[in-house]
Amino acid sequence: MIARISNVEIVGPKGLLRDVLTCLWDMGLFQIEPELIRHVEKGDEEYIRPFLLDKKMLSERLFLEDLLLKINTLFSYLPKVSVRMSYIEPLSILDTIAGTIDGHASRYRELYEKKEALEKERSELNRYRIFLDALASLLGQIEKMPELDFVGLTIKEPDMVGRIRQLISQITDWKFEFLTETAEDGTLVGLIIIQKSISGKVKQCLSQNQLPELTLPPAFSELSFPEKNTHVKMRISFISGEIENITGEMTRFAQRWVPIYLNVKECVEERLSLLRITAEVFETRMCFFINGWMPSDKFEQVMKKIRDTFQGKVTITEKEILEEYLDRVPVVLKNPRYFKPFELLVKYLPLPRYTSFDPTPFIGIFFPILFGMILGDAGYGMVLVSLSVVMKKLVRKKKELVDAFSILLISSVYAVFFGILFGEFFGDLGHMLFGLKPVCMERRGAVVPMILFSLSIGAAHMILGLSMGFIAAIRKGSKKEAFYKLSGTVMFIFIIILIASLFELVPRLLTRPVLIAILILTPFLILTGGFLAPLELLKSIGNMISYVRIMAIGLTSVLLAFTANRIAGMTGDILTGVLVAGLLHLLNLVLGVFSPAIHSLRLHYVEFFSKFLEYGGRKFEPLRK
Amino acid sequence: MEKVLVSFAAALAIGLTALATAWAQSRIGAAGAGTLAEKPELSGAIVILIAIPETMVILGFVIATMILLMLK
Repeated sequence: MIARISNVEIVGPKGLLRDVLTCLWDMGLFQIEPELIRHVEKGDEEYIRPFLLDKKMLSERLFLEDLLLKINTLFSYLPKVSVRMSYIEPLSILDTIAGTIDGHASRYRELYEKKEALEKERSELNRYRIFLDALASLLGQIEKMPELDFVGLTIKEPDMVGRIRQLISQITDWKFEFLTETAEDGTLVGLIIIQKSISGKVKQCLSQNQLPELTLPPAFSELSFPEKNTHVKMRISFISGEIENITGEMTRFAQRWVPIYLNVKECVEERLSLLRITAEVFETRMCFFINGWMPSDKFEQVMKKIRDTFQGKVTITEKEILEEYLDRVPVVLKNPRYFKPFELLVKYLPLPRYTSFDPTPFIGIFFPILFGMILGDAGYGMVLVSLSVVMKKLVRKKKELVDAFSILLISSVYAVFFGILFGEFFGDLGHMLFGLKPVCMERRGAVVPMILFSLSIGAAHMILGLSMGFIAAIRKGSKKEAFYKLSGTVMFIFIIILIASLFELVPRLLTRPVLIAILILTPFLILTGGFLAPLELLKSIGNMISYVRIMAIGLTSVLLAFTANRIAGMTGDILTGVLVAGLLHLLNLVLGVFSPAIHSLRLHYVEFFSKFLEYGGRKFEPLRK
Repeated sequence: MEKVLVSFAAALAIGLTALATAWAQSRIGAAGAGTLAEKPELSGAIVILIAIPETMVILGFVIATMILLMLK
């Protein structure tokens, strides 16, 4: 259900504002209302204004924001390493940290930039190394001749080789050598050997045909090919050592200083949050004035704490919530232990308004029933009960999973119950093994009774939903809406009786009086709900028919279980039969968990809750660490 | 012949609604997948949205059952 919320005002001397906010922050029970939602006497408006930070607070805020920015910048330079906890009181070292941070940030920005540059150079050199390694074998075949020039290429596609050969042959009149080799990383590298006199033309031609030459850095120009190779390897090794040294220094610094900086950062963020919150507080000439919300059952606790801490200098009072501000009231869902896991299913819906209802108890009651009706197999139910119990113990640290398995456990118990009613235990296996018979009806053969049963459930659920809509309208104090909801509910019941009498499910004699009653009520319905009201009523009838899915999906489940047993029987071998039946039942079980869950939820979200729930509530977000 | 026509009518009632549901679900599914890429927290709502058009096939099923039972 939706917990009762109190509107609370806290008033005290301005000098105590920060201490009061810290006290509320520590308790974690109070949400500040940033808008002025109280009745202010005419002429008094000018005396109440949003709290303005004084010079001291403003300079503190600027100092803390600057420090936080610097700490975050420093962290962006440092490597991510696991660090110890720091137990130094952060407030006592704030000034020291403010003094050291600039030096640290400057030193480690420099190292960070140097490391980045080295990493970039190493990456480029690695590319050259791959190329030079591949060419080393080719160069062995070439005699050293000063009049020759060498052009290196990285060939993206092997098909290009022929085209390159053709291009060069046109320029050099077949006076060239073109060698290719596959590099370590799988790319194809090529070496063109030509006379120096025509190398310019060849390079220009390659460039025009989007075949960029692999150029080595200028520092390599004076070196021979074997020297280039050795030089690249030496340089890579040197750079790797440098990077290792820098990383080591940064890691040592991070392990020593990051815990302290983290501690300070946390403290700075807390102080800043408090300073920012002061913008949501109001002030008069002498006092501060905080308006906000808190759960009513915690009011006494908070009041006692405020009174004890501030020796009566700060007053705290509970105010009446004015009707026009009901939409501002934050919503807290508070449910008994049984319903608590079902809040997981409500999370998918927007929050209800404070004046509306908490959907959790409704889902908690009806979801397992509908799930059980659809699955309706004692064998499957027992498997799921066992699975839920085991999984709840295995995942006990993950709250959401524990909640999910708690829901499955409750729903599976209902599946066992309805399984006994329908006489189903892994389909008809229960009947074949130990003569299990249905207590009320056998779903496989009773299509029409099951349709009627599902429709009855739908009708009951709809009537409950429509009635809740009537209660919600009364709670809101809207008489016209209440009359509309009431007449809609009555009309809905009459229409069901009319349909039932036409199908002779109830005495046919009722048809005429019910029809007359509907005709009398129709103008009243249109008067209170508008011309679209009869359409809404038809929608409710459609919603009711939607409950036939209870029967339809249940029927597919029971038929699949029945088929699994028949196919297993046809194998003629016990082991194969058990294996086949096991696999098919497993498939049916998986479907039997998802399908009923989704459809039961859908029946709640779409059909049931649309009749009375009003969404758009504000989440309760108290001040807390 | 009459029995064939009745059965055909029932098959049409459920077959066409099943096709309509499948088409609607395919569109919602595609849009839902796109939404999930940007807002994974809406997964629950999308599952429900995909289940919504199934009302059509349920209604088709009811009509088919009524045809078979009433015109038998």
